[in-house]
Amino acid sequence: MNTGPSIEAEHLSRRFGEFLAVDDVSFHVEKGEIFGYLGANGAGKSTTIRMLIGLLAPTSGRATVAGHDVAHDPEGVKSAIGYMSQKFSLYLDLPVEENLRFFGGAYGLWGGELKKRADEVLELTGLAEHRKAITGSLPGGIRQRLALGSAVLHRPSIVFLDEPTAGVDPEARRSFWRLIRELSRGGTTVFVTTHYLDEAEYCRRIGLMVDGRLVALDTPAELKRAWVPDRVLMVRGRNLADGAATLRARPGVRAAEPFGSGLHLRVDPETWTGEAVRMAIESSGGEAVSVEETEPTLEDVFLAVVGRGAEVQAAQEVAP
Amino acid sequence: MTLAGNPAGRFLSRVGAIAWKEILHIRRDPRTLLLALAMPVAMLLLFGYGVSFDVDRIPLAISDQDRTEASRRLAQAFTENHEFEPVGGADADAADTVFRRRRATAILVVPRGYETDLARGGPARAQLLLDAADPVTANQVLAKADAIALFESRRMASVAGLSAAPPLQVKVSARYNPEARSAVFIVPGLAAYLMAVSAVLLTALTVAGEWERGSMEQLFASPVSRLEIVLGKLLPYLALGLIQLLLVLGVGTNVFDVPVMGSPLLVILAGLLFLAGMLGQGLLISVVAKNQLVATQAGALSSLLPSLLLSGMLVPIDNMPAPLRLLSRIVPARYMVDALRQILLKGNGFARVWPDLLAMLIFAVVIVALATKRFTRRIA
Repeated sequence: MNTGPSIEAEHLSRRFGEFLAVDDVSFHVEKGEIFGYLGANGAGKSTTIRMLIGLLAPTSGRATVAGHDVAHDPEGVKSAIGYMSQKFSLYLDLPVEENLRFFGGAYGLWGGELKKRADEVLELTGLAEHRKAITGSLPGGIRQRLALGSAVLHRPSIVFLDEPTAGVDPEARRSFWRLIRELSRGGTTVFVTTHYLDEAEYCRRIGLMVDGRLVALDTPAELKRAWVPDRVLMVRGRNLADGAATLRARPGVRAAEPFGSGLHLRVDPETWTGEAVRMAIESSGGEAVSVEETEPTLEDVFLAVVGRGAEVQAAQEVAP
Repeated sequence: MTLAGNPAGRFLSRVGAIAWKEILHIRRDPRTLLLALAMPVAMLLLFGYGVSFDVDRIPLAISDQDRTEASRRLAQAFTENHEFEPVGGADADAADTVFRRRRATAILVVPRGYETDLARGGPARAQLLLDAADPVTANQVLAKADAIALFESRRMASVAGLSAAPPLQVKVSARYNPEARSAVFIVPGLAAYLMAVSAVLLTALTVAGEWERGSMEQLFASPVSRLEIVLGKLLPYLALGLIQLLLVLGVGTNVFDVPVMGSPLLVILAGLLFLAGMLGQGLLISVVAKNQLVATQAGALSSLLPSLLLSGMLVPIDNMPAPLRLLSRIVPARYMVDALRQILLKGNGFARVWPDLLAMLIFAVVIVALATKRFTRRIA
């Protein structure tokens, strides 16, 4: 049994003509880890996944998945992993259990073994009662669970999930993530891309992609510490809009965004305290203002990283 | 049990999984079955009853300027077998008007002095004016008129006692299709045409559908190989195509009395080879087009027109201009139509139809190879 990392990527790059979709990406994913891959659309998440699952040959660099080199042994990779693509991927005109049977067969399962695994997966995903239902008649959240079930039917050691919860309601997303954590507890490595930052909190580690480069990689807590040194303040009250506008113009205020009925602020801890913010807002017409210091969210991290990425790129463009 | 370590078993499991899924799709989608089974029967009935090249009861106007026993006898010879139907007299000078008003397709003109010429034993002339706007009909009318005239002159020769027995009994007989019925001729052609259209369309649709849905990527990410996808996709449609062939032939033999003179097994072999080529063509189209709309249009065009026009189903290949004749050589339907006619109508065996079978085999191998190659290119 392979005891090393599940996924190793070394200087992985992929070019499409002039466009460098993935630029020198290196990382390791440990066995049983939930590894989140974050980035805006077009940042190179899907391209990275497609290289790791043997669908796309890397332009340069190398990667091994479950011990198989993706460039030289893509078939070995394909048998070892499960993949849930962004767009798909169930046959909506078929009943739930026929979808499972099909994907089981595609991975070489048949007969009693296939039946047993299909039952287990129906149980795991909570779909036993829907087994005869036509897939297309089920809501999106249930379909996503079935798609995940189809991807793990053959007991892969790693599953790749490309934006698995896109377009699914929050409750269904939560139950989907319970399923992912259950798989991870069972020893399955999970590599998941998402652009829902709240979901990324569930990951043990997160890689952040900006314009094809992996610009940050760590646990959510460590990322927050490293990337958001600012003081993060949650402001509540009435008539906050003028205050927000005033604050944005002041030095040391990095961001002032509406958040629910309140205001989400990132400020330089050297120049601003909560009390100073409260007074500034009240003098701009705010009423019943309360200010509370909070943990930065991954969204704060993401904005900081993207901002930094843009600065780096600007510097590169200026440099000869 | 898992079939790990047993490559043949896993191969079968994967092909089987895809084929089974395809069968479920077909069962769930009445359109597919309608396209594959109901349409051919409907078209067969339409074509069989509606399209007929048989010409009888041709409206014939008679311009009898001789008004004698002999001239009346000639007119009677034309009409007594109901090949021609008399529609009354006509003035030969007014022929244009007669034709334009569609009163008659032909005018028999018996000139003054016809009986006298006959009695003298010299050449007696009668004239047939023919509306040749429709050349197919005109040719048949002409042939019939020729036969009647020949038969009539033999009869008169014998009556005149030039020889005790008629020198030659002219007997018009069409071989292989004794009653010269169009249905017998057209059913084999129609079978090939219908198989071509539905096989190309169905495959083009099913594979393009996988691209459109995004499930093709999912398949490529699994250990299923291109060959397994191709086989799994083609096998159910091959079976469906064979059912279609048997259905069309069943209707043909039962409703239109199409004979089955040769070996049914040979018919099935020809059908399999032909279908393999047509399914491959559909596959190639869908691999290139990758969406159902384009695939449908390209599939319909590339199967419908050639197998209708270049297969010899409607227009005999010998009657085509040279470039089209050449082009028809790469239309598999041409070989299928020929093979079916050879086997069904003439009872020919392998010795006669093997060139047709070989041609269809070559087409199938080339087109499936091309499709598989294009298929592979999609994955960088």
